[in-house]
Amino acid sequence: MQTTIQLIVNNTPCEATVDTRTLLVDFLRDQLDLTGTHLGCATGNCGACTVMLDGLTVKACTILAADVAGSTVTTIEGWTQAARQSGDLHPIQDAFVKHHALQCGFCTPGMVLSVQQLLQEKSQPTEADIRHGIAGNLCRCTGYASIVKAVQEVAQTSSE
Amino acid sequence: MAYIGSAVSGILDTKLVAGKGQYTADVSLPDMGYMAVVRSPYAHARIINIDTGAAQRHPGVRIVVTGADIQQWSKPIPHTLNPSAFGGKTTDIYCLAIDRVHYVGTPVAAVVADTRHAATEAANLIEVEYADLPVVIDAEQALEPDSPLLYPEWETNELMHVRFQGGDVEQAFADADHVLDDTLRLHRHTATPLEPRAALAHYDDRAERLTLWVSTQAPHPLRTTLANTLQMDENDIQVIQPQVGGAFGVKIPTYQEDPLACLLSKRTGKPVKWIEERTEHLMAGGHAREQTLKFSVACQADGSVTGLKVRIIGDVGALAALAGWGMSYVASFVVPGPYKIPNCEVDLSIVVTNKGPWNAYRGFGKEAASFLMDRVMDRVADTVRMDRAAVRLKNFVPKDEFPYVQISGATLDSGDYVKALQDVMDKAGYQTFAEEQQRLRDQGRHIGMGVGFELTPEGGCIPDSFIGGYEGATVRVSPSGQVTVLTGVTSPGSGNETGIAQIVADTLGVPLGTVRVIQGDTQACPYGLGNWSSRSLFMGGSASLYAAREVQHKVLRVAASMLETAPEDLDCEQGRIRVKGQADREVAFNDIAEYVHKRAFDHHAFDMEPGLESTRYFRMGNIHHVPDDKGRINTYPSYPYAACVAVVEVDVETGVITLLRYVTVHDCGTVINPLLVEGQFQGAVAQGLGGLIYEQLSYDDNGQLQTGTFMDYTLPTAVEVPSVEIHHQEVPSPFTPLGTKGAGESGVSSPFGTIVSAVENALAPFGVRIHDTPLTPQRVWRMIQAAKNGTNGGADA
Repeated sequence: MQTTIQLIVNNTPCEATVDTRTLLVDFLRDQLDLTGTHLGCATGNCGACTVMLDGLTVKACTILAADVAGSTVTTIEGWTQAARQSGDLHPIQDAFVKHHALQCGFCTPGMVLSVQQLLQEKSQPTEADIRHGIAGNLCRCTGYASIVKAVQEVAQTSSE
Repeated sequence: MAYIGSAVSGILDTKLVAGKGQYTADVSLPDMGYMAVVRSPYAHARIINIDTGAAQRHPGVRIVVTGADIQQWSKPIPHTLNPSAFGGKTTDIYCLAIDRVHYVGTPVAAVVADTRHAATEAANLIEVEYADLPVVIDAEQALEPDSPLLYPEWETNELMHVRFQGGDVEQAFADADHVLDDTLRLHRHTATPLEPRAALAHYDDRAERLTLWVSTQAPHPLRTTLANTLQMDENDIQVIQPQVGGAFGVKIPTYQEDPLACLLSKRTGKPVKWIEERTEHLMAGGHAREQTLKFSVACQADGSVTGLKVRIIGDVGALAALAGWGMSYVASFVVPGPYKIPNCEVDLSIVVTNKGPWNAYRGFGKEAASFLMDRVMDRVADTVRMDRAAVRLKNFVPKDEFPYVQISGATLDSGDYVKALQDVMDKAGYQTFAEEQQRLRDQGRHIGMGVGFELTPEGGCIPDSFIGGYEGATVRVSPSGQVTVLTGVTSPGSGNETGIAQIVADTLGVPLGTVRVIQGDTQACPYGLGNWSSRSLFMGGSASLYAAREVQHKVLRVAASMLETAPEDLDCEQGRIRVKGQADREVAFNDIAEYVHKRAFDHHAFDMEPGLESTRYFRMGNIHHVPDDKGRINTYPSYPYAACVAVVEVDVETGVITLLRYVTVHDCGTVINPLLVEGQFQGAVAQGLGGLIYEQLSYDDNGQLQTGTFMDYTLPTAVEVPSVEIHHQEVPSPFTPLGTKGAGESGVSSPFGTIVSAVENALAPFGVRIHDTPLTPQRVWRMIQAAKNGTNGGADA
């Protein structure tokens, strides 16, 4: 069955016809070509498909595209575009690069958005806060140490 | 040296952090179809009949195929490592099962349809009739004479039997003060990169040419394999590796789905895309680790180990064309690791069972050898009442005895094991830990410290295979002075492209930002063997160094002519070529590049070969495949190692283990980029920790996989993995031009022995002895109860 949805994706109004079975992650990737959102497990465990739905992070493999009609969705592409302050990247992304808080990069867009939400909720997180804040995003490469370091640096810089 | 040794950020990171990496699933072509694979729900069965009628008629379906079609259209897939080359058994592996399935997840049919949904629906309409066969899922049972046979023509389930022997083992045991025996069991788990396997095949009918975008570690060998399987000319195939989302070994070999997607593109005349589902990966993407390690050790009262007998039974699941079984071979090859135990024998049986086939995974059997040797040393220490670290220090190969040849032929290149262990003990506060432990024990907390040591042979080079000890690279300078490096090695996220760029930038004396590294395209790159066994930087980097040196030789010759001096009087840094000590006599690297290309007949360049490009191959000088006088060959050229200390806390009420600290002194020779090396090591420890405590591929008695999603195959999160304290010990390799050794794999092996030792130490008041993994809370809790009740006294929990 097909249905037509209207929503805002990355600040742009959008109307699309989708199969009602289509997951939000597949809609974003296949129909809107927003391939910065990745699919790693389709069971809501790995977090590679994390996007912002009405300002909060969600795992886009656990939501049907048809269910987000009327909502605002932000993916890594839109967030990067909107978040740019001075340089080419957001300070969270700069810190990820500086500390090599990524290797293969597959989990990274989702991880960055989870960090954004963590820092929104708690601008000065403890190490334990950081680790719990990103526990919904699996990284198979880094062992997380460099990610924790990057988040600590962003928090510290923002307090100065 | 501006860049070598510096903590430069990954050159791909700014792109990847913005979500701009292009992975295979992100590549699309007009009118492509989607492939779905039908897999066996039975662990062992004969295929009686496959009814594809309903699937054929389903809307949107382009093609439905079974093993019968595949057998007609293609050849078997060449084994990445053929067991028959090692005197073992073998079997033909086609893209789909022909008449028999050997594990749950065996591919038996495939569909291509216009959409992913249509493909899945059609796959569900295929009716396969099976006749059950008896199942064997335990390797030791599979060796019994009355066991069901996976491949009846073998008349056994033993894929291969290997024996290594040296010295006089029986005499050593006869003369020993103590002899002790134990049996260890490592459980089955796997790599699980976050990006599933993926392929996009496009057979262009007009050009009669095949292009495959694929998440692989080894594009060139894959192209050769495809040519064999599909009976095509290698020239008509191009393999492209887009960004790879983690690999860790499982993306080395040619999978059945790779040629399958190619065949179906050829048959339908349109592109075919396949994206693996996570459950498919856990069933059929390849497993690792499950081995039984029995040992008997002879030692003297002073802690010297004088003799060792080891029996390894590797449960490699069903046979596939993947490289997996080789891990059990390597486990036996590495024994006795970093220790000098001249009287030693290893007896290995590699056994097939009705479980998922093994496939390469970081560690590649070295983790089993490391776990085994750590347990041997701990047992000896406990028996002779010595400190566990002291026993290791007593038995290490001394630093003045390199290169040191072990019984298997493994030729340890260089190192200072004693210093590494002493240093890590100092860093971790090993000597003062007991006081802290007692203080916390008095508060009812159970903290333990363990010590371990991993030797990680790298750059494996197996006779008559594409697992080889050489690499190629091209360095090309454009007229504007931009540098392109084309390599035969690839990067699935391991960072070698950055290390290689650092080496080339330093050699040419140009800014890092002017160097572009191109990898993973068979049309562009020199033939190379790809990424595995930590080989990319020390082999691919060495080839790049040679090529860059050759180009720089020409650049300096032209510059010297312009500046009226000799090439050896010139320095080149950041793109400026200067006469040493004379800051005003200089020429830009870019100007030389332009001159060479545009003025090849002018007087500064007329007497040399035009162009600024070189392709060079590098081979390791210490591999030998011709047996020595004792019949030994050396298949590994590089032997990095790590001495480690772990601190754990065990909650004795629940059995939950928390890793509090992990400290290491790691030697990978010359460090090109500490940021990247440390990132690799940290990630490797996380995988070792995950494998030891959290991850398990669990089967029931019928061979049904119980842990087929990330709901039950649980990977460690940021909460479980502490930040590893990493220290470097640089003992350069004498066999590479920059002294580099393998880096990247190290760190995955030591957690097994080190953390197990720490847990035993924490639970010393109960007398718990650990033999088996995983250390799940339930199992640890049972060990504590059994020890409390005096029912195990060290027996299995």
